[in-house]
This record gives sequence, structure tokens and C-alpha cells, in this order.
Amino acid sequence: MTTIGRSRVKSGPAWTHAAQAGLIVGLVALLETATQTGLISPMVLPPPSDIGVRLAEIVPTAAFAQDLTTTVSTVLIAFVVGAILGLALGIGFWRFPFVGAVFEPYLVSMYSMPTLVLYPILLAILGVGAAPIVVIAASMAMIPVALNTMVGLRAINPSLPKLAKSLNCTRVQLYWKILAPAATPLIVPGLVLGFIYAVIGTIAMEFILAPNGVGFRIGYFYRSFDIVDMYAYILVASIIAITANVLLNRLERRIRQDMQ
Amino acid sequence: MTGPAKTLRSDTEEPTVVDTTAATATGSGVVLDGVQVVYPTSDGSIEAVRHASGTVSDGRFVSLIGPSGCGKSTLLDVVGGLLATAKGSVSINGETVRGPRRDTAMVFQEDSTLHWRTVLSNVAFGLEIAGVSKKEREARARDVINLVGLAGFEDRHPRELSGGMKQRVAIARALLLDPRILLMDEPFGALDQQTRMFIGRELLRVWDETRKSVLFVTHDIQEAVYLSDEVWVMSARPSTIKSVITVDLDRPRVAGTMADPRFHELTTEVWELLRVESEKALQYRGELP
Ligand SMILES: Nc1ncnc2c1ncn2[C@@H]1O[C@H](COP(=O)(O)OP(=O)(O)O)[C@@H](O)[C@H]1O
Ligand SMILES: [Mg+2]
Repeated sequence: MTTIGRSRVKSGPAWTHAAQAGLIVGLVALLETATQTGLISPMVLPPPSDIGVRLAEIVPTAAFAQDLTTTVSTVLIAFVVGAILGLALGIGFWRFPFVGAVFEPYLVSMYSMPTLVLYPILLAILGVGAAPIVVIAASMAMIPVALNTMVGLRAINPSLPKLAKSLNCTRVQLYWKILAPAATPLIVPGLVLGFIYAVIGTIAMEFILAPNGVGFRIGYFYRSFDIVDMYAYILVASIIAITANVLLNRLERRIRQDMQ
Repeated sequence: MTGPAKTLRSDTEEPTVVDTTAATATGSGVVLDGVQVVYPTSDGSIEAVRHASGTVSDGRFVSLIGPSGCGKSTLLDVVGGLLATAKGSVSINGETVRGPRRDTAMVFQEDSTLHWRTVLSNVAFGLEIAGVSKKEREARARDVINLVGLAGFEDRHPRELSGGMKQRVAIARALLLDPRILLMDEPFGALDQQTRMFIGRELLRVWDETRKSVLFVTHDIQEAVYLSDEVWVMSARPSTIKSVITVDLDRPRVAGTMADPRFHELTTEVWELLRVESEKALQYRGELP
């Protein structure tokens, strides 16, 4: 039974992956033709082959290494800060339902609010540099973590805390052996979403106000009409986001499998 | 002590170990003495249980039956040390219950298996919390798994089990703690009738082998009579234990027990008592004129 189920599931994604790869290849080929024939102006989109060549030139440079390091480390810091705050908030809202009820609608509306527009205020408070970027990206990352943590804890079957109590669990045992694993199926997707938000927040803020980083380069080349370079960096940003997403989804699936 | 029902402390850093061997002889078994439980709510307080008294003598199987919402779970939680009384007390072998004890173990109505753990690790969970080594607790867990008929499922996860099997896991986890008193809150409430009957028989077989005292909450009259030595009928809320019916059917109970005219008499008697209370409860809730 299980083996049949598994092999079916395996052949499914294999075909899907092939089709997805085909779609990308087709799209690139289409854009290449359209740009080479002048159907699309090179000021809008240069030929993908030019972008590829430029990317290969950029990648080995020291400047690129520095930009990449800056962006990746900013994302990581923002994510860690956002995740810790989000977990703490989520636990707090769950422990103190009144506080949760008061803050929840604001937190939910922050999902839809473009947090990025707060940057002038932060700029005034924190000045130019890494600080406002981390603050914005971390607060964006924090929201899905906090909400999913709260929802995950609330969804726990009430007989589990009762069980913990009847077994005289210590507080540490209650959190680590019962609440955390029980809420993990919802907390992990929150963390994954939080990471993606940290990436988006970091690159977007770099675009506006950083002295370096991948997002900064995109803005810089945009403003100096280096369209090919701009696209090369857009490609870098996309690759970072996609890689992060793929790795995190894989991690999520692994954790869920281990937990269930 | 009057006042709102308080949750008893359970989050102390050290598990409280109650030495049951030192219990004094005064009132052996579980003694409920004028238990009153009041829940504080945002709009006033709810008196869930008004005055409950009764004794579960050693090794007896007692069922608690009553209209829904009359305070059965509440009363069981009090005996299990999860809830404090507003008035009155519960004592076990002469010691007042002040929190969860080592000599009681609970089985809940809803699924309380830990879905990320295997059957073996679920069953051993209570001993893990009590600090028993992995090797020892798993060896002991395997014995109990055999006893409840889950042999071969040790490495499965709860999602691979039926509702009845999950309840067996919960029962095995409770049994592994080797409590003197088993507190079961509608453990088969979510199961279909056939499964209930079957697993009820299994429970009796296990009980025969272990001879623990059992306080068993149910809303099923036949189940109550079939399993028990005594059936306690609770009144509608605010509740009291209205009547105690002694079930004088022979043990071991067998499939034929239900065909016994005495079985029919007893279930009818329980039903008559319950009917009055259920009507009151339904009228109170506006579901009956
Ligand atoms: N935590 C609680 N807070 C307030 N009221 C409660 C709480 N738990 C139970 N009650 C109320 O107490 C009464 C008894 O509940 P319960 O013991 O669960 O009944 P039963 O198990 O007999 O169906 C019910 O009216 C219920 O609404
Ligand atoms: Mg109940």
C-alpha cells in the first residue's frame, strides 16, 4: 500500500518538475527571440543571453562578493531577530488571551500594510545604514511567525495540557515535550513565510537606502541606466529568494514528517 | 474554603511524588466528601457541582452517569487533582487530594495521544516524565502494549491508528503508571457502538488482571451497567450524586450478561433516574418545554 502510494507521488512531481523546467526554458527562448528581433526594446529588456554573460562577469568580482555577503547576512540577522520576537509575541498572545485579542487585528492588518513605507520615520530615528533595514525586514518577518505561533498554540487539543498536568509535567517539559511539538506543524510554515518576508524586506530596503547589497545594486544600475547589469542583479535577487524558498520548503517537509 | 474554583498548581519545577504506602487507614479508597465546584466566568460564576459525596472502595469499578453538562468531567478532574473544590474535599486512602498524584492516572475523552510520537513512545510518556530510563520504560511499555492488544503497533504513529486504538494507547499510558485508581472520562465516547462494546470487554479483561479502582464517566447506560460494580447517577446541574445503584451481576461479565433479565432491570432503573434529570437539564437549556 505505502510503496504504491509513494511511487505514485514520486512520478507526479517528476513530471511536474520537467514541465516547470520546460516552461522556463520556453519563456527564456521566447524573450531571447523577441529581444533579438527588436520586438522588445533593449531599454526595457536586454536579450537574456546578454544578461547571462554579464552575470558571469559580475559573479567573480570582489564587489559582488561584498554585496552578496551584506544582503545574506542582513537577511539572516533580520530573520533571527524577527523569528525570536515573533515566537515570543505568539506565545505571549496565547498565554494572555486578552492581550492577544487586543493585538491580533493590528497584527493581521500589518500583513496587508506596506511596512516598507515606514522607512522615512526609521531613517530619521536610526539614520542611514544597516539598522533601519534590519528593523523593517525583522518586523516583516515577525508577523507571520507571531500569528502562526499563536494560532498553532491555540489549536492544540485541550486534553494535551490536561495530560501534562495530570502527569505533573514541569513547565519546561510542558513546553518542550508537548506544546512545541504539537504546534510545530503551524509554527514551521510561519517561520518559512517569515524568512521569505525577511528576504523581500531586506532587498526592497537596500534598494531605497543602502550603500551596498544586492538590492542597492539593482537600484543603482536602474538609476544609471545600466539595464543589463540591473537585470543581472535582479536575477541574483530572484535566485536568492527561490533558493531560500526551496530549501525552507524542503526543511518544512522534513520536520513535518519527523513530527507526525 | 469557599471561593471560585482554582486551578491547582501543577507547574512546580519538581514533580510531586506522593508516597501512597504511608496512607493512613482512615477511609480507604477514594472518598468524596461534600464536593462543591464553582467555575468563575466573565459573567458571574457557574456552580458546576453542588454537593457530591461517595466512596470508591479499593478495586471497585464505579461508573458516573448523568445528563450532559452536569459536572461529570468536573468531578473527575477534582479527583485527579486538576481542579480545586470550593467546598468539601476528596481524599484518597485518607490523604486529601491537593494536586495530581502518583496513584491516580487519567484517560480523557478526546484523543490525547502525541501525534509526533510512536505508540511505544506515547505509552512510555508518563514514565518518561517521571524520569524512568528509556530502556526500562520501553521494556515496561511493551508489556502493557501487549495487555491492551496493541502488540505489533509499537512503531506506528497515532495517525495510522483508529479512534479505538488511540484510546487503547491512552489507556496503556495510564496503566503503565501503575496507578491504584484509574480515572476515565468517557474514554469510548467518540467510538461507534460496536467498537465501544468490544473495547469495553477488553477493558474489563485488563481490569480483571490488574484490579485497580476505576471511576468511569459515561453517558451510556448499558455500558455503565455492563462494566460496573456501582453506578452513580448524578442530578442535573448544580449537581449532586443522586443515587448509587449496586450492580449485582456476576463477574466475569460475558456477552450473555446483557441478555440477563437482571441487566434489563438495572438499566431500566438507571434510565428512570436519569430520565428525570435529563428532562430537567433539557428544560433548563430550553430544548424541552
Ligand atoms: N472551564 C470552565 N469554565 C466555566 N464553566 C465550565 C468550565 N468547564 C465546565 N464548565 C461548565 O460546568 C458544567 C459541567 O461541565 P462538565 O463537567 O464538563 O460536564 P459533563 O462532563 O457532565 O458534561 C457545564 O455547565 C459547563 O458548561
Ligand atoms: Mg464531560
